[in-house]
Amino acid sequence: MDVNQYLGIFLDETREHLENLNAQILNLEQSPEDSDTINEIFRAAHSLKGMAGTMGYKRMQTLTHDMENVFSEIRNGSIKANSNLIDILFQCLDALEEYTNNIQETSDEGTNDNKPLIDQLNAFLNDNKGQKEEASEKEKPEEKKEEASEDAGRHWMDIPIGDPEKHVFAVAREQGKQVYGLDVRVQETCILKAARAFLIYKAVEEKAEIIVCNPSAQDIEDEKFDLEFSLIVVSDNPLEQIIQAAQNVSEIESVTGDVFEVQDVPVKEQGQEDVPAKREETKPAAVSQSNAPAKQNEKKAAKPVVNRTVRVDIEKLDVLMNLVSELIIAKNSLVSASSSEGMTGAGFNEQIEYLESVTTNLHESVMKVRMVPIESVVSKFPRMIRELSKKLDKKMELYMSGEETELDRTVVDEIGDPLMHLLRNSADHGLESAEVRAKRGKPEVGSIFLDAYQDGNNVVIEVRDDGNGIDTEAVKAKAIERGVITPEQGESMTEKDIIGLLFHAGFSTAKQISDVSGRGVGLDVVKSKIESLSGEVEVKSKLGEGSTWIIRLPLTLAIIQALMVIVGGEKYAISLGSIQTIEDISPSEIKLVGNSEVISLRGSVIPLIRLSKELDIASLKSPEDNLIVVIVKKGEKLAGLVVDELMGQQEIVIKSLGRYISKCKIISGATILGDGEVALILDANALI
Amino acid sequence: MEQLKLTDTVETAETAQYIVTKLGAEQYGIDIRYIDNIVRMQHITRVPKVANYLKGVINLRGEVIPVMSIRLKMGLPEDEITKTTRIIILKLEQHGTIGVMVDEVREVVTLSSDSVEKVSYNSKEGVSDFIFGIGKHEGELISLLDLNMVAMEK
Repeated sequence: MDVNQYLGIFLDETREHLENLNAQILNLEQSPEDSDTINEIFRAAHSLKGMAGTMGYKRMQTLTHDMENVFSEIRNGSIKANSNLIDILFQCLDALEEYTNNIQETSDEGTNDNKPLIDQLNAFLNDNKGQKEEASEKEKPEEKKEEASEDAGRHWMDIPIGDPEKHVFAVAREQGKQVYGLDVRVQETCILKAARAFLIYKAVEEKAEIIVCNPSAQDIEDEKFDLEFSLIVVSDNPLEQIIQAAQNVSEIESVTGDVFEVQDVPVKEQGQEDVPAKREETKPAAVSQSNAPAKQNEKKAAKPVVNRTVRVDIEKLDVLMNLVSELIIAKNSLVSASSSEGMTGAGFNEQIEYLESVTTNLHESVMKVRMVPIESVVSKFPRMIRELSKKLDKKMELYMSGEETELDRTVVDEIGDPLMHLLRNSADHGLESAEVRAKRGKPEVGSIFLDAYQDGNNVVIEVRDDGNGIDTEAVKAKAIERGVITPEQGESMTEKDIIGLLFHAGFSTAKQISDVSGRGVGLDVVKSKIESLSGEVEVKSKLGEGSTWIIRLPLTLAIIQALMVIVGGEKYAISLGSIQTIEDISPSEIKLVGNSEVISLRGSVIPLIRLSKELDIASLKSPEDNLIVVIVKKGEKLAGLVVDELMGQQEIVIKSLGRYISKCKIISGATILGDGEVALILDANALI
Repeated sequence: MEQLKLTDTVETAETAQYIVTKLGAEQYGIDIRYIDNIVRMQHITRVPKVANYLKGVINLRGEVIPVMSIRLKMGLPEDEITKTTRIIILKLEQHGTIGVMVDEVREVVTLSSDSVEKVSYNSKEGVSDFIFGIGKHEGELISLLDLNMVAMEK
């Protein structure tokens, strides 16, 4: 029975439940009496346990089971949630997350039993409810054991043993392992015999390697057996352990076993060709710790690669489906229009327009499918702030808004770390200690805000605090001390420049990493991460009043609006997002400042970049002609790109140039134009 | 499955198929296993600031694929684009998909390993770096290109 096909769903749902639990347990701390919250927690924990059990993740199941016990006592009102318990519960969630990560990577939950956590949970239960017996005792093996002693006929003796198996036994013996026969009897009331058999399989496989079973694994899987089945296993664990493991599965009436005596085993030189094949059949696709000869292990189940998935609202898919059908209609109309009227008729143009609107809508809805709310990332922050608050001994509160704002899945996956860093920064450096706050007449509890909202084609995420703000003088002093700038440079720097220094890679040093965050450590990493997502970071700060970090991200990465330009006869695309204006400049307006060309535009001095020079191509325009200058913006900086000609605005699909040509910095990618030609996309950020 | 693969490699150890191409007067052989496609010469979009042998990128059914000139890579005179010029699309494990320009594609030949002579590496010309052997086919000599060397960045 292969559960791997459900692995993806299992992981997705587990994550969802864990997130939910995180949020609800936080709630619980706020309002320990709220029965809705408690019920919700209970439900989530229960589903988790059920899922883990079904998938055969024993340790995970045990842990959730014990957590569930605690929740159930809370629900009954016999335990009250206090801060201590909440801490333990959070640790449990972390442990569960670790299991989940292990499962994702290796399909195995790992070997950490998290015994201390379970003990703590149970201790809590016992403290509060003395008479409650150790709750972690799961399935009572007592009743099973009654029959266990009775020698149930040794059915495994009847299993026909072929030569390949004999060879395996012989090899195992040579390695000092034992061969055991096991009889398993399932309770008559058991409904899902195959499932139980499978769990037995899993349990036994942790201790031993299953060589043969009767009936065959396939038959067992198809429930083609009565109540009994037999196994022959090879293991270096004692028999009792194996039996014990198997008996832990519920609804099993008995498990008996003995050492399997193999008579006259001729050792063949080579295992026959069908050994590995048979082996695979008898082994469900779980990674077992078998120590059998390597050659036979080659067929071990490959690690499942769990694909990243996006859960999609069925409505979004319906819209997509509709659009695709419209697209087909449009195509058919085009076909008929071209055959009946030739390529000139008015109907033809109409169809083209129709097709255009369909494709635009199609694009939009495909993008929507890829969009996920940032909630999945930010939902872990309240808990983080709670922990920081304890660790730093500062009172603080996190206010979040706009969790439902949607971003491309790839962006959402990447945005978590930078945000976490900014929040930590705010908590650690932004907010003052309670005494200072009191002195300044601020409320004792510091506030951190995380706001997300959509702004045109961008999504803006703001991290704001009402703390001290950035002390530019201190930053300057530190920068000079670190040798990032010279004292002379420091003199002439504006406040903005100084704040910009925080993002300078040289500004942060690893030495300063405190438990929470160093002063400015890793802000450069935050910046480069955001920039790699084609976004930008901005800081606004007022000393004594707090600071705001503003992250601006594009809604989507794959398709952009671009301005097509021609330079020296070649076509290039510039992302519309970075373009401010387009100017017509006469050559006489160009001034030279320190050997570089600048223009003065509405009061600001803007450096000119001649694209023909950057792209190593001769401009086709004569020097006397007016220049077409595309003004682009990177953060606060402006620059004017000189192009030969403008072609117009176009929606372009970004294609990678591939790793073979990736050394060119000013080219961020390529796109394919309507005529099939490739045009390169200029990265305005790299040019400035 | 495993057995299949095994016989496969055994076979190719003895004979291999090559596409014979022309660069100038010489014939070069490209192992057919690495060839994805052969397309006619088309407009190549120049990419600035890259090595001179990288001619640029082309659009191959929606994929953007870099194209290089074997001639320039090997230090031969620049390609002359004619009617027979072709771009051979190679799929290499190490370098991904790349296109190489050749003057002409002639035929497919099957060479057994005993008709291939390994080249000695003492020749002064740069060309020999890119050749792993010389094949003899019907009285003609075919230089067999070492594609990983050709594609390797200098």
